[in-house]
Amino acid sequence: MYRMLLPALLLLALVAISVLSDKPLPRADLTYINSTEVNTLDPQRMTWMHDLRTARLLYQGLVANDVLDDNFPIIPAVAESWTISPDAKTYTFHLRKNAKWSNAQPVTAHDFRYAWRRAMLPDLVSGYVNMFLNIKGAQAFYDWRQQQLEDFPDRTFDSPADRQAAAYQLWEQTKLKFDNLVALSAPDDHTLVVTLERPVPYFLELCAFAVFSPVYEPLVAPYERPDPTTARLLRKPGWTKPGTLISNGPFVLTRWRMKRDMRFEKNQHFWDKDNIAIDSIDIPSISDPNAGVLAYQTGAIDWIADIAAPYRGDMVAQKQAFLNEHAEQVAQYRAQGLDQFTIDRLLPNDPRAHTHAVSSFGTYFYNFNCNPTLPDGQINPFADPRVRRAFALCVDKRSVADEIRRLNEPTASTLIPPGSIGNYTSPAGLPNIGDAKDQAERNAIIAHAQQLLKDANFPDDFIVEIAFNKDSGHDLIAQAIAKSWQKHLGVKTKLEQNELTIFKEDLKTKQYMTARAGWFGDYGDPTTFLNINQSTNGNNDRAYNNPIYDQLLEQAAIELDPIKRMAILTEAERIIVEEDLPLIPIFHYATIYMFDAHKLTGLSTHPRTKQNAYLIDILTDTKGPNQPKPMHRAQTTEAPSP
Amino acid sequence: MMTLILRRLLALPIILIIIYTLTLTLAWAVPGNPLENPEKRPKPEVIEQMNKQYNLDSFPKFYISYLTSATGIKYASDLVSGQIQRERDAAQAQGTPLPARPIFDLGPSLKYDDQTVNDIIRDTLPVSVTLGASAILIALFVGVGAGVIGAVKPNSFADLSTLAISMIGISLPSFVIGTVMLLTFSLWLGWFPIAQWGTPKSIVLPAFTLSLPFAAYIARLTRMGMIEALGADYIRTARAKGAPERSVLFKHALKNAFLPVLSFLGPATAMAMTGSFVIERVFTVPGMGEHFVNAVQNKDLFLIIGVVLVFATMLIVFNLIVDVLYKWIDPRIE
Repeated sequence: MYRMLLPALLLLALVAISVLSDKPLPRADLTYINSTEVNTLDPQRMTWMHDLRTARLLYQGLVANDVLDDNFPIIPAVAESWTISPDAKTYTFHLRKNAKWSNAQPVTAHDFRYAWRRAMLPDLVSGYVNMFLNIKGAQAFYDWRQQQLEDFPDRTFDSPADRQAAAYQLWEQTKLKFDNLVALSAPDDHTLVVTLERPVPYFLELCAFAVFSPVYEPLVAPYERPDPTTARLLRKPGWTKPGTLISNGPFVLTRWRMKRDMRFEKNQHFWDKDNIAIDSIDIPSISDPNAGVLAYQTGAIDWIADIAAPYRGDMVAQKQAFLNEHAEQVAQYRAQGLDQFTIDRLLPNDPRAHTHAVSSFGTYFYNFNCNPTLPDGQINPFADPRVRRAFALCVDKRSVADEIRRLNEPTASTLIPPGSIGNYTSPAGLPNIGDAKDQAERNAIIAHAQQLLKDANFPDDFIVEIAFNKDSGHDLIAQAIAKSWQKHLGVKTKLEQNELTIFKEDLKTKQYMTARAGWFGDYGDPTTFLNINQSTNGNNDRAYNNPIYDQLLEQAAIELDPIKRMAILTEAERIIVEEDLPLIPIFHYATIYMFDAHKLTGLSTHPRTKQNAYLIDILTDTKGPNQPKPMHRAQTTEAPSP
Repeated sequence: MMTLILRRLLALPIILIIIYTLTLTLAWAVPGNPLENPEKRPKPEVIEQMNKQYNLDSFPKFYISYLTSATGIKYASDLVSGQIQRERDAAQAQGTPLPARPIFDLGPSLKYDDQTVNDIIRDTLPVSVTLGASAILIALFVGVGAGVIGAVKPNSFADLSTLAISMIGISLPSFVIGTVMLLTFSLWLGWFPIAQWGTPKSIVLPAFTLSLPFAAYIARLTRMGMIEALGADYIRTARAKGAPERSVLFKHALKNAFLPVLSFLGPATAMAMTGSFVIERVFTVPGMGEHFVNAVQNKDLFLIIGVVLVFATMLIVFNLIVDVLYKWIDPRIE
């Protein structure tokens, strides 16, 4: 009898040991859900939005964006001031003397040089290497290193020891080459001088991008050393672990348990720590969207940075109902120019009001394959811009946004969300049947589209294939679009649903006719969207190739007058959204937040959707000034560069 | 007994290599490139570089290099050839000390840049083991209890109701039961926390939900074994000599009826302890189960192979433990 209990006793002992060894920490001042597990905390290797958001807690770059300002201006960060040369190519940054790493060592210009050099090494594979190649000599350095690495395996050596010595020697040579080739210098510890290949009007925006953050060389260098057989720098993970990681931002990482949680404590050596109103942050990994909302409702979570729960449309509708109940007040506050979070705080507290749809720096659109022939060899009718325009006219964008998405998202007639980039004027774009004023206008649009198809000799019996990946409601949108094409253009359609990886592979190899797509901008300049339609761009899934468009972008790249430059870019976007339509913009994304505006302040409503969690103040606690932080507008905007 | 253990342990590496070969072949065939961010594509050179670094450009190269580093052969050969010492010296000369290098290196995660597969398994396996052990524990007591009750009076009300509950446990998907439990006990009654793994309280709901199908199965096995045992001659003898009913049930009958349960426990424990994708998602348990699904979707080769090998090892080891216990509980077995 007792022998039978042994398996049970073994199991019991196991459970007891593991429960006793796991001690929970007290609740952090701020707990938020960061959409999904962080991929990396190495700033030079980041590409994901939630990684970049976390990076801004840990690292501080030369400059930053004032996210609570409607103009989104560049403000000093580690650099307290900077000057730009008259030819707009040389930037001299003066670093503040009190900027410190979390081990109390000063942050110097050399740290930035080291970090940016990492990003320019082909062997360390930074996703945003292109941004660094704007620096003079960077491309030559990159190409040189690439060539050396390609040649190395063919060299012969007497012994493994010799081979290794040569690998190390090449690395030493590379560092010298960098010093000689790349126009990035540190005349002293607190001055950084960067010269660009040609003027880049948004270079400061790039410097505010987390990928340009510094890293601490004595920490990182041991993890990156030449591989003795290939001479490539081999990257070992490990330096981003809590207890090891040294950072220069407002917070330090004190715990990171994969898929479980991340814990941050205020960096006691951060130069501006007195202006940080929270001492600790917890970011639990809650991958199930439903569990995230439930956890918020029990009070365990203060802010959900991106609600993906399938019923979020209902949550937004309830919020709208709440606003409608207070319509008079809301109208009054809006007339005063108050931002949406401030309005929520001024209205009575209600659980329905905790949902916030915030416009974001991204657009949902449909791609056309613009290649002259389709994958099966037949002639591609979508190679004709008239056909693409006709299809674009007949998408009911309004019903997609209002009936399928239901997130209060604006319909899109442009690729770049209007108003997201200061002093950029968006083109008007094409009309669409969903946004027509009345039936007569709707009929006119349809008649025009049918005429375009006739002019282009669109083949009868042609079956239009619509590709999309499963999940996220893409299927519903595809059905709606297919239906309106069938109805108004009389074409046959076929829906093709695939796994995300297969779908993406098809886009890359242009194995499709039309397909759903989306894009989020990285920095505050139109090129962050427009570049994806350049004929040579790696993200040009449309195989769109218009020499005039490419030329306009080239022209903008060398134009020094910011007003003229923006006008050129407007013209480029106009070609995309009014004439050529390699893509159909459908709507501009909204991100759905959940937080109590009466309790939490410091989040931005700016359409660039860049949140700096270190600005958050919990109004109901004892820490920080507990003053609401509404959106404001700086008195003077930045002087345009010459 | 010793030969049994020895034979099994010797077979372990061979079985693992076969499983490794099969897993890698299948995982290799998954379409898509694990190194690509699906939304923003890096330069083609970048992808090429990474393919080279991880040997993703050639199947045989990958096959050998993974095998040698995962088994520690690479570490041993580098140690013997002096490679490790050379690297250490070179690092010292540069003034940058060398970070520690694991002997059994299961490789990096291609999706989670900052984690090695060793890191991920070290972080997530203990969580899954805790949850799995709790679930099996609950399943064992609930299942055996229900089975005995059912067997004492077959087709009685008690028997039929345990049958009904077992059927529900087996047939209702765990995401339904899990969500219902979460809504009832966490949100409405507020007894248990949501999405905060770590405290004993937080283990209760997921462990109970995970235990249900196992408990149901154990109940059916016990009932069957008990009914058969209770009809046997030695039970009649026991009753005839005046043994109390409790002793007849638990000492005489259950001893035989428990053996099928025990053999089920081996694979069941391995399965429960390597994590369940659904339970982990519903209750936000940071366990290993989700990697069985997500790693395949991400084509995270090293991680796929890593978790499959851990699962295989646990399955083999638990079956061995069960066989040993079997012999110990019932010495008649050869």
